[in-house]
Amino acid sequence: MPGTASLPLHMPTGLPGFVPAAALGTACVASFILLLTFSPQVPGDTATAATLDAILLWNSLLPRAAIALIAGAALGLSGALLQRVLRNPIADASTLGIASGAQLALTLGLGVLPLLSGVSRELIAFAGGFGAVAIVLALSWRRGLDPVTVAISGMIVSLIAASLSVTLILARGEYAMSIHIWGAGALNQQDWNGVISLAPRLAAGIVAAALLLRPLNVLALDDSSARSLGVALHAVRFSILVLAVWLSASVTATVGIIGFLGLAAPAIARLCGARTTGQVMTAAPLAGAAVLFLADTLTQLLGPGFSDLVPTGAATALLGGPLLLLLLPRVHGFSSVTARADTSSRLLRKPAIALSLLAAALAIILALVLMLGLTDTGWSVALGLLFSELLPFRLPRILAAGGAGAMLGAAGFVMQRVTGNPIASPEVLGVSSGAGAGLTAALFLFGFPSPAIMLLGMALGSLAAFLVMIAIAGRSGFSAERLLLAGIAISAFCMAIVSMVLAQGDMRSYILLNWMSGSTNRAGAFEAWTAMIALVVLSAPLFLMIRWLTILPLGTGLSRSVGLGVLPSRLALAILAALMTAISSFLVGPLSLTGLIAPHLARLLGFRRLQHQLAAAILIGAGVLIMADWLSRIVIYPYQVPVGLFAALIGGPYLLWLLGYKERTA
Amino acid sequence: MPRVQKFTRRTLLSTAAALAATRVLQAQDAGPRVATLDWALLETLLAIGANVVAATELRQFRQVAVEPDVPAGVADLGLRGSPNFEALRFARPDLIFNSNFYASADPLMSRIAPVETHAIYRPGESPYVLAEQATLAIGERLQRPAARRMVEDLADKLDRYRNLLAKGDGRPVLPINLGDARHYRVFGSDSMFGEVLKRLGLVNAWTGATSYSAVAPMGIETLASMPEARIVLIPPHPMDAFGALTESAFWKALPAVRENRVLMVGSINPYGALPAAGRFADFLAEGFSHARNG
Repeated sequence: MPGTASLPLHMPTGLPGFVPAAALGTACVASFILLLTFSPQVPGDTATAATLDAILLWNSLLPRAAIALIAGAALGLSGALLQRVLRNPIADASTLGIASGAQLALTLGLGVLPLLSGVSRELIAFAGGFGAVAIVLALSWRRGLDPVTVAISGMIVSLIAASLSVTLILARGEYAMSIHIWGAGALNQQDWNGVISLAPRLAAGIVAAALLLRPLNVLALDDSSARSLGVALHAVRFSILVLAVWLSASVTATVGIIGFLGLAAPAIARLCGARTTGQVMTAAPLAGAAVLFLADTLTQLLGPGFSDLVPTGAATALLGGPLLLLLLPRVHGFSSVTARADTSSRLLRKPAIALSLLAAALAIILALVLMLGLTDTGWSVALGLLFSELLPFRLPRILAAGGAGAMLGAAGFVMQRVTGNPIASPEVLGVSSGAGAGLTAALFLFGFPSPAIMLLGMALGSLAAFLVMIAIAGRSGFSAERLLLAGIAISAFCMAIVSMVLAQGDMRSYILLNWMSGSTNRAGAFEAWTAMIALVVLSAPLFLMIRWLTILPLGTGLSRSVGLGVLPSRLALAILAALMTAISSFLVGPLSLTGLIAPHLARLLGFRRLQHQLAAAILIGAGVLIMADWLSRIVIYPYQVPVGLFAALIGGPYLLWLLGYKERTA
Repeated sequence: MPRVQKFTRRTLLSTAAALAATRVLQAQDAGPRVATLDWALLETLLAIGANVVAATELRQFRQVAVEPDVPAGVADLGLRGSPNFEALRFARPDLIFNSNFYASADPLMSRIAPVETHAIYRPGESPYVLAEQATLAIGERLQRPAARRMVEDLADKLDRYRNLLAKGDGRPVLPINLGDARHYRVFGSDSMFGEVLKRLGLVNAWTGATSYSAVAPMGIETLASMPEARIVLIPPHPMDAFGALTESAFWKALPAVRENRVLMVGSINPYGALPAAGRFADFLAEGFSHARNG
């Protein structure tokens, strides 16, 4: 095992555990009393109004409160089970891809394949959720389910599932409504059916968890000790896993995705003083129930009139992100796993020749995608007149995609050097999502902002996200695990902001949805020039900063001792990386994993010197996105798939395979 | 679903008559080849008998807008948000109509053919008035007298319906579209459906803020806050939503449901132009006069 977990035996002494617990409980009770007192009354004559008020109370408000408690408890329990069985402090329905898998299956099952509409929502959701977890675990199996690998795999599977869902929604032209409310997890109820279906499942889950408690305790030891104590290791692990997936998939099927709760609940449970497995298993469902209840009550209280302020699932993600960042320094005692810097075992003898080969390959790809395309009648190779006629439509999008890919490659490279962390990238660190939050802010401030203002908003959002990440990385001593945890928190926080606006279903949501899906289709001269100029202006200085990039990963002390101003150099690099991220996410959306893949591939190909690695990352990034753009153009012609999706589909599995492959050969 | 009235044979016949009229118009001289990205403009162009060669999301259009009929030869350009420019180029249009929603496609499309923009949905302006202006302008441009006729016929029809409905009970009307079993969106006074209500002399039950289209998804429980209203359900609905909703105790307890004041009409494009407005008016007149007589 790359890392063994130990029980969180000591908590830093601070608040006694019961203080936060009591505060949370009091807040829940107080807000519910406020809600009962101030919930809006039905207008009209008194008799009808009284009847309707009673209906609202008994068929809407109370079942909603009940379902918040039940769903929260189920997610809390599911998160605690997953974290224990995978020995992974950052496992939950969101990070393992369960929620996105379930959502994809439901989108597919209910919308695209109406034959499946006879099958229950819950079964479809379970199949999707379990499929996602199975893929995640299979991908990280070779690395002994090490938490960081599991989290990366989970994130990639989530990204792919989410972008497939978005594509399906866009392909049906129903961008505005149902899926997004539901995707954002709204708890509105109009009868007790939701409660009736979910409550017995939670009860069954609690009983099963209680039965599995002893084996769970043993599981906290390492595998050989557990086996010597007579635990049928795989059977127990598997049944706990099935239970946890079933619980969270049931919640997803009933009320949609409630972001982050499975991650937050066990953390809050520990904050409230839970120590042993039994205590955490008891406290986590309670904490989950309390947090979801509180969030749901607040969104009702703060909304105008009868309507909610935001979908509750998005609201919990808003609470969850900052909460996790706050908890970060206090979470102790987990496995101290760091991802290894993946230098290839082989070394390129002549990197200059390898680089020119890469450039030549890029040129060939460029020529092919410019000429090859589909028409109503089949494949066509555009030459001569047709070529020059199609060039204005093909060249700008190819340049935009290529430029964005190149910048993502460079930005990922810089982030990995600045944070000293081989898994850092715009997507993992939440910098791409930061751009989304910036775009949302711009949409709110300006209504219909011009592309320049949208770009500015995205750049500011990215920069803010990256600076927060650097601050966190600096404080926690660059531990890969914390950085990842913080990145997921920031990402979830920003995406919560985005999905709140998506759920509004107006023109702003339409712009955001288009951004999320990352289409290069409308790229024209502006986008092409933006991509090319930004690439040259922002990546050229990086080749002059190679000294900083060499020294910074060695640590603050060493950097200072060789006379490097740590703060200004980091800040300059951060600004460059954030700008490149923002501009490329403006061009191809936030979903592509190019920023993670390209620098990895550059190292795995055997480039050692930093300037060679940087150049290779730029070339590979450009190549990947140009290929993805071409595929997005032809796969369901004349309809078009967003390019960001294809980049993630190509890059994600490849990266995971490489991680596993390297481990085996090393 | 005994409590919801469906549209009847009379509607079907009038629809068929309208379709037949459209076909006759198309058989006349074809005129310039036109293409569009916007559904409101597409239905306008089809209704006035323009020679449409390419438009977006035709599969979805045939299901949601239903009429006018889209001839089989029209090329599908893919999604409204990301139209396939190469497919548009192969359709060889002489003229492209676009709306403010998809203005970002203008620079690329103007390389293929001249682009003319007509806005129907703009904050703070009446979509009905803008749709009339757009229809007349397009009719002028393509020299289609059918455009002016359509504007005048619809105005006459709305007047006629207004007199017919004036004999009704004057209850406010709540036009909604179900998102899922627990959410709906409501069409306020400045939406196309709201404008039609106003012209029919009906009061919109939704008095809250709107933004020139449907307002954000509302929880279904808010229906209780408008006990006096007639509820008009406008499809398309997700498949399982309607069944789940009508099963619920809450729905059955609503005054509008108990007193048989719910009308389910046929699918209409919520961001439509005059053909959608006319279709909505037909459904309302049919449903409400039926409700009063039966």
